[in-house]
Amino acid sequence: MPDFSPTQYAVPFFVIAVLIEMVWSRLRAPDAYEPMDTLVSLCLGLGSTAAGALFGGFALYVFIAAYEYRLFDFGAEWWSVWWAWPLCFVLDDLKYYWVHRAGHRIRWMWAAHVNHHSSQHYNLSTALRQTWTGSFTFGILFALPLILLGFHPAMIAIAGGFNLIYQFWIHTEAIDRMPRWFEAVMNTPSHHRVHHATNPRYLDRNYAGVFIIWDKMFGTFEAERTDEPIRYGIIKQLGSFNLIWSVFHEWIGMVGDIVQSPWRHKLSYLLREPGWSHDGSRETSDTIRARWIARRSSTNPVADRNPIAADHEAA
Amino acid sequence: MEIPPLLIQFGGSIIAILAIYLLARAMGLGTTPKLTDEAAVQHAANEVKDGFSPVRIAIARGGAAALARDVDGQIMVIKRHGNQFVGRVLTRSAKVCEVVDAIEIDPRETQFGTVRLSIVDPGYWADAINRL
Ligand SMILES: [Zn+2]
Ligand SMILES: [Zn+2]
Repeated sequence: MPDFSPTQYAVPFFVIAVLIEMVWSRLRAPDAYEPMDTLVSLCLGLGSTAAGALFGGFALYVFIAAYEYRLFDFGAEWWSVWWAWPLCFVLDDLKYYWVHRAGHRIRWMWAAHVNHHSSQHYNLSTALRQTWTGSFTFGILFALPLILLGFHPAMIAIAGGFNLIYQFWIHTEAIDRMPRWFEAVMNTPSHHRVHHATNPRYLDRNYAGVFIIWDKMFGTFEAERTDEPIRYGIIKQLGSFNLIWSVFHEWIGMVGDIVQSPWRHKLSYLLREPGWSHDGSRETSDTIRARWIARRSSTNPVADRNPIAADHEAA
Repeated sequence: MEIPPLLIQFGGSIIAILAIYLLARAMGLGTTPKLTDEAAVQHAANEVKDGFSPVRIAIARGGAAALARDVDGQIMVIKRHGNQFVGRVLTRSAKVCEVVDAIEIDPRETQFGTVRLSIVDPGYWADAINRL
């Protein structure tokens, strides 16, 4: 069985790429980096690997147990079946799309994923803001279909590692657009900038990992527009560089809501979308987008039908 | 005693992280933006809450913070955070106190902190916030 963790080998390249982007930032975009923000992002990355080593064992145990019930068998030398690798990679990316979508639409999952989004910057160091608490969600369930299909947990882990490595380079403002054919199929800096945006137009869009086609298939794709500059982060920006707060704030908020709410609403605070409240006093990405659409069509009824008119809306 | 290799790796990573942070500082990355006029505050306020349109604005001396009030009487405090701006729409639990030449506002939001603003009409804003 191959014992190989691709992300580990990638770390030196991550560091070099961040340094190169810092030089770019110095020359071209001094606001792209903020030292404290970068410090927090890098610590989140390191802490995530430590948390994975500490708590990842449970997921591994579940996967190995589930593998016993596989429907198809690639044999004892499963790693030598060459076509299983690209197939596993594509299916794992499909799995990633749904885990990630759940990560934005179910508060329990969002509590773990939010720290990837809580920076107001978007640079290569942002890519390293990985979760510490993913093991405390039900995210592992999404991998079970792959395991039951007969893909070995190690093969899925390696595919997932390459998926994560791919996603590193798209966290940058230094690249505007890739060639047309590439933008059509692959996740790119442009598509993923949209994912990190808090503009109403861009909320909860572009969940893709490697292939953007999933968003186009499942109706969550939004193209980046040159007339709508992106603001990065989360709806309620933290306003703090406290590392521990950035890891746990949503967990703390969620548990507080569950404790304080009436019994029949408790489960909703766990499983409904972030921002949902039983008295409607808070905002979700859906209510924010709805209000934005209503405002736009009342101030400029033509804007919705005519994208050229929308270009001048701000004037 | 032998130090476990994982611990060495972890320690090395922390040193590398601090080195990158210090390098980013030494390179002068991250500017210090200022709220220079009402348009800048309007822009920042709309980023804090989409659609928030201020009818009255107070910019703190130095441009690091501001207050904005909309037609419904909602009050937002905006502060500089790193090289960005963040803000909160104040609720009834917000605390305000007038000090020598400024007011201090605590939105009572974990980790957000107290914002100190040196403004021309602190009394008006303190009253408004107390009446929320
Ligand atoms: Zn996300
Ligand atoms: Zn990302």
